[in-house]
Amino acid sequence: MSKKIISLILTIVMFATILVGCASSNSTSTTGSTSQVESDDVSESETEDKTYKVAMILDSSISDGGWGAACYNAMITAAEKCGFETQYTDNLTTADFAPTMRSYADMGFDLIFAPGNQYTDAVKEVAADYPNVYFALLNGTVETDNIVSLLPDAQQIGYMAGALAGLMSKTNSIGFIGGMELDTTKIKLESYEKAAKAVNSNIQVYSAYAGSFSDSAKGKEIADSMVTMNDVDVMFGDASAVDSGAREALSNYENRYDIGQPSDLLAIQESDVVIGSVVTDNAAMLEICMEDVKKGTYGNKTIYGDLSNGAISVGTFSDDVPEDIKEKYLEIVEQIKEGTFIEE
Amino acid sequence: METVFDIIFIQELLLSTVRMATPILIVALAELYSERAGLVNIGLDGIMTFGALSGFLICYITGNPYLGILAGAISGILINMIYAFCTIHLGAEQIVYGMAINIFAPALASFIYKIYFGISSTLVQATLMKTVPIPILNKIPVLGVVFFNHTPIVYIAYLLVPLTYVFFSKTKLGLNYKAIGEFPKAAESMGINVMLNKYIACIICGILAGIGGAYLTTAYISTYSDGVVAGRGFIALSAVIFGRWMPGGVLLAALLFGFTDALQLRLQVMSSGTPYQLLAMIPYLSTLFVLAFFGIKKAGPKANGKPYFREER
Repeated sequence: MSKKIISLILTIVMFATILVGCASSNSTSTTGSTSQVESDDVSESETEDKTYKVAMILDSSISDGGWGAACYNAMITAAEKCGFETQYTDNLTTADFAPTMRSYADMGFDLIFAPGNQYTDAVKEVAADYPNVYFALLNGTVETDNIVSLLPDAQQIGYMAGALAGLMSKTNSIGFIGGMELDTTKIKLESYEKAAKAVNSNIQVYSAYAGSFSDSAKGKEIADSMVTMNDVDVMFGDASAVDSGAREALSNYENRYDIGQPSDLLAIQESDVVIGSVVTDNAAMLEICMEDVKKGTYGNKTIYGDLSNGAISVGTFSDDVPEDIKEKYLEIVEQIKEGTFIEE
Repeated sequence: METVFDIIFIQELLLSTVRMATPILIVALAELYSERAGLVNIGLDGIMTFGALSGFLICYITGNPYLGILAGAISGILINMIYAFCTIHLGAEQIVYGMAINIFAPALASFIYKIYFGISSTLVQATLMKTVPIPILNKIPVLGVVFFNHTPIVYIAYLLVPLTYVFFSKTKLGLNYKAIGEFPKAAESMGINVMLNKYIACIICGILAGIGGAYLTTAYISTYSDGVVAGRGFIALSAVIFGRWMPGGVLLAALLFGFTDALQLRLQVMSSGTPYQLLAMIPYLSTLFVLAFFGIKKAGPKANGKPYFREER
């Protein structure tokens, strides 16, 4: 009998901890049951100052030091400006995308932020059943009454990284690491190669996919093999935590560099490997979404992010980038902005 | 393409094989000790994740990767004690509790990481364990670089293979230990303390699986991120079956997996035209292939996975 009780207690403790671990919420929304009651009251009386709520789903972790962290911070920044409450669920598997979004929709969230092309199908499915909940799909290509796509120009990102890599490479070999073969990743790789070849026709581009966004050990192996086998000296990646592993491998060699994205890495952390970053400002695009939700004009559009509206920008350079290359690069970025760099 | 037969290519490939096989080998040995005592522990991935976090955390705080490894081992024991208590004492279903560990431990690790480090746009870096080349031996061409220029954890992992073999096949203690996995009732009647030995098995399993996780974040790379273990625990689990519950077989399985994984990464870089999914399948395909040929006969401990009740007939 006592064994049964002990096992029951253990199970309860375990489940409680799992729940805490999975859905640790942002401080603004952990004020407990009282605030829940308040917000219910507000919605009942339908006063003007309704608290809007935004939720984010993620297949990696928000503390992955890459894509997940950047998207989460973008949501927090935008939510602070627009007065939204935030909530997130991370480390989801593909099968959990739709159910998680459904529960957020049932909980009365106004806006659901799905930061990536890989959520497209799940968003479409859930959005059809919840016409009153709005969805923001980053890197998406869907436009319906309640889905808005946010589309940072992957081609420009690829061009910018490729041009810098091409200008900086001394061995004429540059590398690219992808996480999964997403549409945006493919476009980035393609334009990375094109841009590098445009600035240096002798350049050779090597690429590999880690098949994961979190296996940093694999990133290290890929970078290691690219350096030792192909003498790659500048790398660019689209695989968040995997890129951190690659940077770690590069730091073991002399004169090997990496280009960061989507945050401005050198503005946050010192590094002898990162030479610059291609910065994507998702917060600005999310802000437009949140304003639309408030105004009630949501839906049927794609918010494009590129160099001209500041959603994509050039990050901090390291001292390893010589002045003349920097100047040349900024000229090219200007051309990319005008659309005259590579004519389609 | 001409680089395929290059001596440097082969050297780098083998070096990478040894590196990639190490965490799988350590954790597969952990499972071997567990299953030899009749405890199927599929919670390896969870124990590894928690070991990876605590190893990283202690390494970050103290700046000493060896203390990190120690912390990984201790936290491995702690997590595995939940499994041990429920399956040995309470006779609960082993698969269910293993799975519970797989859900519980990574969530706990993720929670602790977020509380301690917050959400930053870059990963926090700790100290990386330095390689300790073995004098004289590391001067041998090719082999010296491949086998004798690693961190001490790698040497220990490979040394554990013959030691485990000797323990299981040549010592009385080891034979007693194996008897528990084969036929615990007979073992008990011969005066072997089954319960105690099962707990010892769980402690060894926790230590090794925790070290396997901590190796990833202190000796392989110097950062922790959720999902850093990336299913290596499950691969270790299959390596035990593949290796037919023998240390030598486990070593071969781990090396095969490390080799094919290292190879597919290099093939991807060399032939960018090939769809990467096809190449990424190679390690799993070769495992399937080898299992189909060598893994048919059931070779595992007879009482594997079965709870043991002392009073039961």
